[in-house]
Amino acid sequence: MNKKLSALITMLVFSLVILAGCGSSGSSDDTIKIGFLGAKTGGHASYGLETLKGMKMAEEDINAAGGLLGKNVAIVETDHGSKNSEASTVTDKLINNDKVVAIVGDPTTGLTKIAAPIAQDNQVVLLSAGAVGTGVVEIGDYIFRDTLLDALAAPAVTKYCAEELDWKKVALITSVNNDYSVSLSNIFRDALKKYNVEIVTEQQVKDGDTNFSAQVTNLTDQEFDGIVFTGYYTEGGLLMKEVRKQGLKQVMVGGDGLLSPVLWEMGEAAVESSMVYTGFAPDPNTDNEKTKAFIDKYKANNGNKLPDMFSAQGYDAVMLIAEAI
Amino acid sequence: MFWQQLINGITLGSTYALIALGYTMVYGIIQLINFAHGEIYMIGAFVGVVAVTVFQLNIFIALFVAMTVCIIIGVSVERIAYKPLRRSTRLAPLISAIGVSIFLQTLMTLIAGPQAVGFPQVINDQLYHIGSVTVSKVQVIILILASALMVGLQLIIKYLRIGKAMRAASEDYDTASLMGINVNRVISFTFALGSALAAAGGVMVGMYFNSIHPLMGVMAGTKAFCAAVLGGIGSIPGAMLGGLFLGVAEVGGVALGYGGYRDAIAFTLLILVLLFKPTGLLGRPIQRKV
Repeated sequence: MNKKLSALITMLVFSLVILAGCGSSGSSDDTIKIGFLGAKTGGHASYGLETLKGMKMAEEDINAAGGLLGKNVAIVETDHGSKNSEASTVTDKLINNDKVVAIVGDPTTGLTKIAAPIAQDNQVVLLSAGAVGTGVVEIGDYIFRDTLLDALAAPAVTKYCAEELDWKKVALITSVNNDYSVSLSNIFRDALKKYNVEIVTEQQVKDGDTNFSAQVTNLTDQEFDGIVFTGYYTEGGLLMKEVRKQGLKQVMVGGDGLLSPVLWEMGEAAVESSMVYTGFAPDPNTDNEKTKAFIDKYKANNGNKLPDMFSAQGYDAVMLIAEAI
Repeated sequence: MFWQQLINGITLGSTYALIALGYTMVYGIIQLINFAHGEIYMIGAFVGVVAVTVFQLNIFIALFVAMTVCIIIGVSVERIAYKPLRRSTRLAPLISAIGVSIFLQTLMTLIAGPQAVGFPQVINDQLYHIGSVTVSKVQVIILILASALMVGLQLIIKYLRIGKAMRAASEDYDTASLMGINVNRVISFTFALGSALAAAGGVMVGMYFNSIHPLMGVMAGTKAFCAAVLGGIGSIPGAMLGGLFLGVAEVGGVALGYGGYRDAIAFTLLILVLLFKPTGLLGRPIQRKV
């Protein structure tokens, strides 16, 4: 009898503790947490760091203006090191440990597709600042994005190449372990067909490769007007270096995955006259006051450097979530 | 086209071979797979970049500096992480090697940052045309340097006293020590040789592919290790052959249009060779090791 009673009491105490735990993590906090899902290290750290810079600026702006619903906004930073395998762990941590109300990220399509189902199952809003590929928001009604879609931009670029530059033949190069690149290549394939540009050869590379000599040698006996490369900046820069090394003169065109100063650092002269499209380009003479304020503030905080698409999208993402709250 | 790809393959393969030699020599003497070897190669590449950019050294002097620094690191790693464990179970130094590998990767990530670093163009991109084949000056230099280093290694092992001691220690470690060979010195020397070759490989790869990265040693190390196994681990000519084989197989996969599967193709070949010749291409018969 005594044993049973003490067991009962223990159980009661435990359940009280658990209940109390639930209460405190939900409402008594005086901050609204927004998670950052992205890379601070690894192959696409450049996207993550820029996005985070934008988000931090939004955090400052909101808190300086009195916060949201009387509470301060706090960005919870994470780093998945550009690894697919880490993305789900990090997402899980943001949702279950940090109890964020919304997640901004990942800036890449591939990792967003890994994180989105987890956010959807836990009914946490995930707003990707940069997932430009196909099949992202289709994952569920908690998944959003704020970016220029490849499905709009790639055909426009193709049209420009076909009509203005008079390209008839291209070589298409895809990074096959990169979801973004694979889906962008599909879009380019359709667009090129539509504008009667022939793909004379398709080559496959992988993210993380540094040796492209064999793929480029495969290009040397083909005739074409330009190279369409759908992967990221690091590989883009190195690929073009190899292209020049083997004596080819064609220029490269690609998506906003190529958009990073690292492209210039890696490719140097080889990436000159490469073409990249982007959802945001800083125009210091813009008429839009908010954009102007954003550019000025970014420059002041970052040694007079101009913001890129990712910082703008990161800023917008936090502002959008704040607006919704 | 075929010859062009073959040259691409041999250039890549000779860098694998340089790293594979380090694995195979160490294994030959103390039966340890030195998993930190790929990191020595990575550090070699970074030292090369610093020597060329910060100190504005000539590439060949930079190569020498990188080799020296890596000899020091390689020998210290052996002293600190492997020597105290020499008489313990075979697994202990292996785990210690993995630990050193992760430590060096992380350390370099902290120092140099996680991004890939561009290797400055140190040799002008002169191209030589031989028939339908185009060879760049960098490729020629890599091929000549790699061959010279490998021939030098063979000479050391064949004719120098310390080389003889290495061969004796690899035949039978305990007997060699009973015969008055200072095996500790032999092991240190082996690590020094292996690290120097890996550093040379690192600088050459940086020079050739223009990009180095704190985690570049992982994949290169795995491949070189496979090359060593493929050639017959413990066998020095085997490591060279294995490296070349793997490099050519990898490039061959891309040449056939399966760029995405090139590692799969290379490693499938590895499995096939090992199925039919479990000791590798030039490996010693297993019985002698028992």
